[in-house]
Amino acid sequence: GDSWGIFTFLCAALCNLPALPALNCTEELGAGQSIQKTYDLTRYLEHQLRTLAGTYLNYLGPPFNEPDFNPPRLARAERVPSATVDLDLWRGLTDNARLAANYRAYSRLLCYLRALDGQAGTAELRHRLGHFCSSLQGLVLSIAGVMSSLGYPLPAGPAGPPAGPPGTPVAPNDFLKKMDDFWLLKELQTWLWRSAKDFNRLKKKVPPAVVTLRLEARGF
Amino acid sequence: DSHIQYERVGADVTMKCGSMDWDSAVTWTANGTDIDESHLNGSYLILKNVDLTQSGQYSCYEGSSWHLKYQTYLRVGIPPKEPVLMCRSNNYPKGFYCSWHLPTPTYIPNSFNISVIHGTKEMVCEKDIYPKNRCHIRYLQLFSTVKYKVTLTVTNALGKNSTTLTFDEVAIVKPDPPESVVAKPVPNNPRRLEVSWQNPSSWPDPESFPLKFFLRYRPLILDQWQHVELSDGTSHTITDAYAGKEYIIQVAAKDNDIGTWSDWSVAVHATPWTEEPKHLTTEAQIT
Repeated sequence: GDSWGIFTFLCAALCNLPALPALNCTEELGAGQSIQKTYDLTRYLEHQLRTLAGTYLNYLGPPFNEPDFNPPRLARAERVPSATVDLDLWRGLTDNARLAANYRAYSRLLCYLRALDGQAGTAELRHRLGHFCSSLQGLVLSIAGVMSSLGYPLPAGPAGPPAGPPGTPVAPNDFLKKMDDFWLLKELQTWLWRSAKDFNRLKKKVPPAVVTLRLEARGF
Repeated sequence: DSHIQYERVGADVTMKCGSMDWDSAVTWTANGTDIDESHLNGSYLILKNVDLTQSGQYSCYEGSSWHLKYQTYLRVGIPPKEPVLMCRSNNYPKGFYCSWHLPTPTYIPNSFNISVIHGTKEMVCEKDIYPKNRCHIRYLQLFSTVKYKVTLTVTNALGKNSTTLTFDEVAIVKPDPPESVVAKPVPNNPRRLEVSWQNPSSWPDPESFPLKFFLRYRPLILDQWQHVELSDGTSHTITDAYAGKEYIIQVAAKDNDIGTWSDWSVAVHATPWTEEPKHLTTEAQIT
């Protein structure tokens, strides 16, 4: 069958995020506090991921669970969004661009991770993955909340991975599929390291007091 | 003409007197001192099982004329053992440095070559003038998923050896200890000590990459440390000091999110404020 077609369909269905509740003007939560919460979430997720990745890589078996495993990137792995960025470029990102990059990345990573969940071997693994996916969805919503409270539009486009040209194969063999999984976890880990730094920068630039004023003004 | 000859400790060395025939009459000297004939095989000098003390200048003179026919400088040494390599980023996100040394001396000159590979790219590690045996690299990209692979090769005339380190960008982040740690008593507060410090000067961007701190303190008379972790700010007031006891205090730093703790800062000593003893009128004065 057309495995790619089924994959994209599943992903689109799984990634249908619930509509965001409109920010109530009487909400006490300023953007500053939302940023702090989002930051805390990334730290929590990073910690969770360490255990999850350890378990999952052991499930994949050697060489994926070896600490020095350092394979070259294959072109196919580029579908997963990369956190890697030029230093000056990263510094110069506007708040909007910074938040949008995080939002887009985690939306897509969530999608891939949910697909992983569907295929994972053991019940324990599925349970852990499921829990992690819920937390990750929380992060995506949290970022969306921050963007909304700062007046930034959410990035357009499907929350799932972009549909490749028909015929783009899902991994043709078991080993390459495992490689895909390995890189997914690596990118997720790197994004969480990066996001802590992204939200640190945002914390400094958006003190809670400023946003509270904005909300009050809107109340009129 | 003279040249240098490197030999391993424990080796057997045979030195020929230049172009002289085996049966020529010659005299060998070591650092100017004649060598006994028992070490000669014809005109060849035989040194068995050489040790470090036998390094020196060896000269061969023709028997009767005392013309210098051959001269060599013998350096006895050992091939290098596996070198010790360490890489660390104390200036994140600027880059990192690697430093190395040999665990045991070789007694002869060594040369070091370091290679840094990031994915498919070979990066140049710029050698520092001081300290020697150290080089540094600037990051071109941040938040990389690909590990860095650093290989150090040490070579000398008797052999070579190498070691490799593989690590993630964030794993080697370790700041320098906090600087200018100051501890002061607080007037009229016998149980308080005010501690302040500064970010290490090597940390380039504490605004975007804030540090958190770990403070430890104990009175000199006790072995048990007390610890406080501080997520921001560069000062802290200890409120549970034992009155009148001298304290020793140290601070360490860590990037808020990644890497490991720095070494402990230089220790500072301080004693909490104590009340000045009042002047007592003695019984003797009154009566």
